[in-house]
Amino acid sequence: MNPRTRQVLEFVLDNLVWFMLVFVLVIFSIFVPNYFQLGIFANIIEASSVLGVMSIGLALVIIAGHMDLSVESVAALSAMAVGILFCSSGIGLGIQLRPEWLMVPVSLLIAVLVGGIIGASNGFLVVRLKMSAFIITLASYIWVRGLVLVISGGRSAQDLAPAIRWFGIQRLLGLPLTAWIAIACFVVFSLIMARTPFGRHLVMIGGNETATFRAGIRVNRNLVIAFILAGAIAGLAGWLLAIRTSGATANLGVGLLFNAFAAVVIGGVSLKGGVGTLPGVYAGVLLLSAINTAINLMGLPANFTQVIHGLLVLAAVLLDAFKQTIRQRLA
Amino acid sequence: MIGAQPGMIGAQPGMSEPLLVLDNVAKNYGAIEALKGISFSIGKGEVVALLGDNGAGKSTLVKIIAGGLEPTSGRMLFEGKEFLARSPAEAKAAGIETVYQDLSLCTNVDVVANFFMGREITRKVLGVPVLDERAMELVVQKALASAGTRIPSLRTNVEHLSGGQRQAIELNRFVHFGGKLVLLDEPFAALGVEQTRRGLDMIRQVASQGIGVVIITHIMQQAFQVADRIVVIRQGVVAGDVARNKTSPDAVINMITGETLAGAGPAG
Repeated sequence: MNPRTRQVLEFVLDNLVWFMLVFVLVIFSIFVPNYFQLGIFANIIEASSVLGVMSIGLALVIIAGHMDLSVESVAALSAMAVGILFCSSGIGLGIQLRPEWLMVPVSLLIAVLVGGIIGASNGFLVVRLKMSAFIITLASYIWVRGLVLVISGGRSAQDLAPAIRWFGIQRLLGLPLTAWIAIACFVVFSLIMARTPFGRHLVMIGGNETATFRAGIRVNRNLVIAFILAGAIAGLAGWLLAIRTSGATANLGVGLLFNAFAAVVIGGVSLKGGVGTLPGVYAGVLLLSAINTAINLMGLPANFTQVIHGLLVLAAVLLDAFKQTIRQRLA
Repeated sequence: MIGAQPGMIGAQPGMSEPLLVLDNVAKNYGAIEALKGISFSIGKGEVVALLGDNGAGKSTLVKIIAGGLEPTSGRMLFEGKEFLARSPAEAKAAGIETVYQDLSLCTNVDVVANFFMGREITRKVLGVPVLDERAMELVVQKALASAGTRIPSLRTNVEHLSGGQRQAIELNRFVHFGGKLVLLDEPFAALGVEQTRRGLDMIRQVASQGIGVVIITHIMQQAFQVADRIVVIRQGVVAGDVARNKTSPDAVINMITGETLAGAGPAG
């Protein structure tokens, strides 16, 4: 095989999920009435912001060879914290800050801090006790959601302070600011993963932890940072969720974890660790969102989405195996 | 020549300047003596093959030299100074490293990333350290070229490279970052004939730069192909320490199994 075809093939394999996204968009645009509109595409991006942000954190930890099942509950806890503090009805305390815009950084900081603390506890337990991240974060998934129920008493907070809500309403180039925040997160973390020593080390730790340790990379420190980041990013997702729903309910975001997993796997991240990029994950998130939108437009019952997502995950895993065989041929 | 006499250390005639000297190094696990007092030395630019049957104490000895295991008694001199590595990291900092098959590379990233693992060249962009891929690629290119190693693309993931190419990366990395003594544990266990030949060439090439090489192997033929000196360990003591050109495979096998006494080369 000449190097040119090889390069093209490698490029296609590396970006397969983007090609799938384009393919799916083209197909839907042709066959689903009213799909081909700027407003629809904007909606696809907008609807995927919370899931997208959450998937970033999950992907970081999975690429480093571990697992974080707690991101969904962490997002819910952060959303609830913001909801209780800054909502004016329901269980909201309606705290007002002067000037009003001060509520934005304060609420954001609280959301990120709540997530970061839980992430730190996850990371510490995984690294110190050398226990399976799956079990540790499964425990967090349960107790953090429990905490949401406890502090809310099962009730909800409504009417988020308008200064914070503004991010969900104000639009820039047809997209709400919340969507831009998600896009910015993807850009920043993609750069961190691809261009900084920290990102490079996470990928290598996911590939061969022993080798990185022997090479003098501080594996434990890097892993704890990855878990803290995953928690903090989940906190940010919770903040976006609170804005989106203008408050928080006790069961906010239930099921997001599985969508995040689907997006990450479809995006080309291997659950074995060490493989995957964040742009791919974003394409995975957009792909899920594009399909949801198509299902809505076709008037199919929403229950179909679950079936299709499940099949999509299966397809992604099969595709991954297929990619491996092609790569083996290439080598 | 019998290496087990402490008085003889470093005084062997015709040997290059000693890099590492082991002086009566012993290791006990409770009442069990894994090493009963090992003494030999490795010169700069010398290739020493460490032979011995399973359980002879080779692995214990390697761990003591490369860090991770502390000797019960005895001492080591590295470049003339007292040396003791409490961890592999400490040994590495001093310039001693073990290269294990597949334990020191991340196959999911490319050659350049593996070469610089943990020692990346960065430049600051807005105060953030950013990988300087071009600079790193140039360094790897130069290092591999000067060692005569050919790898088609430095940007291919290591998982797609052959065992020989992987070993070349490990050894070149070791040399580039100032390694002085490398321990190779069964380096050719998984390699084909041609790759093994190239690996042996590479070891000679590494040694010619003044680096000490210790090869732990079971394969007599390889030991005779590449080593300057052959050290045989048997039941925790040095059963033989002979120059390669003054002995024969049969004699060495006898040392390993204990049928003849230490150091006995073929008559004449």
